[in-house]
Order: sequence, then C-alpha cells, then structure tokens
Amino acid sequence: MSKDSQMRAVINQKLIEMGERERLKELLRAKLIECGWRDQLKAHCKEVIKEKGLENVTVEDLVAGITPKGRALVPDSVKKELLQRIRAFLAQHAT
Amino acid sequence: MKMEDMSLSGLDNTKLEALAQDIYSDLVEDACLGLCFDVHRSVKQGYFFLDDTDQESMKEFEIVDQPGVDIFGQVFNQWKNKECVCPNCNRSIAASRFAPHLEKCMGMGRNSSRIANRRIASSNNLNKSESDQEDNDDINDNDWSYGSEKKAKKRRSEKNPNSPRRSKSLKHKNGEFSSSVSTDIYKYNYNTGISYETLGPEELRSLLTTQCGVVSEHTKKMCTRSTLPEPELVMESDGYDVSDGQVLMSRLHWDGSSDISPSDSASSKASTTNSDPKRTKKKKKPSSLSLTAVGVDRGEREDRGGSGSGGVGCSSSSQSALGLPGRKKKPKLPAPLAPSIYDDLN
Repeated sequence: MSKDSQMRAVINQKLIEMGERERLKELLRAKLIECGWRDQLKAHCKEVIKEKGLENVTVEDLVAGITPKGRALVPDSVKKELLQRIRAFLAQHAT
Repeated sequence: MKMEDMSLSGLDNTKLEALAQDIYSDLVEDACLGLCFDVHRSVKQGYFFLDDTDQESMKEFEIVDQPGVDIFGQVFNQWKNKECVCPNCNRSIAASRFAPHLEKCMGMGRNSSRIANRRIASSNNLNKSESDQEDNDDINDNDWSYGSEKKAKKRRSEKNPNSPRRSKSLKHKNGEFSSSVSTDIYKYNYNTGISYETLGPEELRSLLTTQCGVVSEHTKKMCTRSTLPEPELVMESDGYDVSDGQVLMSRLHWDGSSDISPSDSASSKASTTNSDPKRTKKKKKPSSLSLTAVGVDRGEREDRGGSGSGGVGCSSSSQSALGLPGRKKKPKLPAPLAPSIYDDLN
C-alpha cells in the first residue's frame, strides 16, 4: 500500500511540476463553461440560497449542496476527454 | 491481489485507471469548489442577484410569438396607409410617397434640381435665354478634347446639347468660317433634334457638310461633331496635309484618345452618333496603323498589352510615317459621299 501511495504521490508531484495539472484544470473549466454546466450549477446555487436564506449562507452549505450535483452534471464527452489526457500523461511518465 | 505483480513503477493497468479516475475527480471537485467560493463571495458582497431582471420587466419585454407581428409585438406596415399633410403645398400625401414628394416640393435633393433644369432648358428652346452656363460649355467643347468629350457624353441625358452655347466653342476653333456656319446652323439645331424633314435641301447640305448630323435614338439629339478639316483636330477630319502629320504625332503622344481613331471611336465609345460619317473611314483601317493604335484593340497592334496610350503613342510614332502616306490617298472620299447619302432624305 505504501508503495502505491508513494507512487501516487510521485505521479501527482510530476503532474504539478510539469504544469500538466494546471493545464488540465484550465481545460476542464473552459469545457464546463462552454457546455453550460456552470450556469446550471449557479441556478442550483440560487435555490440553495433561497432555501437557506441570503444572510445565513455559508461556504460549507454551498459546497455540500453543490458538489454532488456538480459531479453528476459533467457531460460525458468532457469526462472522456479529460480521462484520455490523464491516461496519456500517465502512460508517458509513469515509467 | 495484484500488488505482488506490481512493479515499483506501478505499471498495472487497473491501478493506473484508478489513479486516472482519482485525478479526474480531484479536478472536478476543484472546479466545483471554485464555483462555490465565487457564489459565496458574490452573495456576501451583495451582487449575486444583480444580473437578474425583475419580474415586471420580464413580462414587459417578453418575446412575442404571434402571427402578423414581430417579436417586439409591432405590426409590420402599420403606417403604410396613413396620409400626411405636406407643409409646403398642404396636400395630403400617402406616407410611403411622402419623402420623395417633399424632396420635389421643396426643391431640395438631387433629383429635383435636375428635373427643374431640364424643364428650364426645354422651355427655353425657342428663346435664347441663358441656361446653365457651366454645363453647356462642357457639352459644347466636345470637338476638341478627349476629356470633355467624356463629360459631354455623361451629361448628355441631363443637358440639352441643342443649346445656344454651342456656337461658342466652334468659334474659337475654326475661326471665321465655322462661326458663320454655326450661326446658320444654330437655328436648325432645335429642329433637327426631331427630324430632317423640316429643313430645306440647301440648308440640309450646308448643315451636314460641316457637322455630323446623326440623330441619337436615345436622346433624339443631333450630333454636332464638326466634319471640317482642322489643323488641330485629327480624328474628325476627312482630309489633311503632311504638315498635319507633325500635329498628328504630337497628338499621339498625348493621352490616348480614341477620338484619334475615327473608326474605332464609334465602337469603343458606344456612341451611335458617330457611326454614319465614320463609316467610310473604316476602309482605311488596314493602312492607318498609327491612328488606330491609340487606345483601342485591333489586330495590327502588337503592343497593346498593358501599356496605356502613352506607350502606344511612342511605339506607333515610328509607324506613323508609314500611315500618313496611306492616309493621304483618300482624303476626298468622304466629302463627295456625304451629300449623296443625305440626298435621299430630300
């Protein structure tokens, strides 16, 4: 197990050091905006806020209310493309 | 299970796949968190709901989807049948015709002045009152320069070429002879705009030996190009001397004018008035290389490509010496012919 986690750590570190993580993040953000995911989720936020009351909203409330829905709403095409890129990176650098 | 097979580098596919999935979900969660922080900040700062329109405005500007009406709810030609009262003449005019009517009524705008001028010119036909000076001058100067000839052609439809000014330009070119002729001709100009039948045979002959006389089908106006031999003018003259050759050559070097090529001017300028008297000149075409050289494409000219009249003039100047003797042979030809053609009219 520790080897596993060690390996993961190494790979993650490589991901960050090479700037690939940042690139992937930007790519994901752009794709999500483009497909309307962000607007959908924002509308959902409004509902949560109206529910909880404008003054009393905390970050935790929002996170708890938004994240599961957000994960589910990501389109398949975006998911596939991102996974493809990650696998490519791993294949290249996980020697 | 498979950990024993796992090498140090972790090449196991399932592991890699799991790793990829983990990385992916980390990224998605990052995106969600980013959004949450954004929203929370805007809520706390108070600008979260600002981009929403209130309900009232939403109802007011809602998209309309009815037939016969655009998406704003406006009818298409609602004002088409309404009538407006003209402030100038106090008549009631249909809305769609109101603007052009106003233009003419008040005398402002492009067309109204043109129409007014035309009316004045035609109404002044019988009295020698002065019409617009500038414009008729240009028309009258069509005999001696290429540039104003073009202008004259453009303006022909607007201005009356049979105007009193015509005699003025002929005067300074030909001296006494033509001026006396032109004053005689002057009173015929108006008539020949219509037909040749009203003129007597002598008048007709005197008119047509000095001027072209072809009546345009479009404008019903008579061409007043001079057919007299002129020292300055090359194209119109049917006969000329060797001394004119020098002038001819200087003419060629001048900016290319298809006037210089009489047979060509008819075709190139699309002017119907030039066709008849110039007909005889077309026979000369094979021999007169120099004159046909300028500006118009013909079979003889090799150096047509790209060069303007200047280049042509230079190249053909060498040929002009050849062309001249050839030309000399037939100076008299058109003159006896011209009366015979028009004799039929009598």
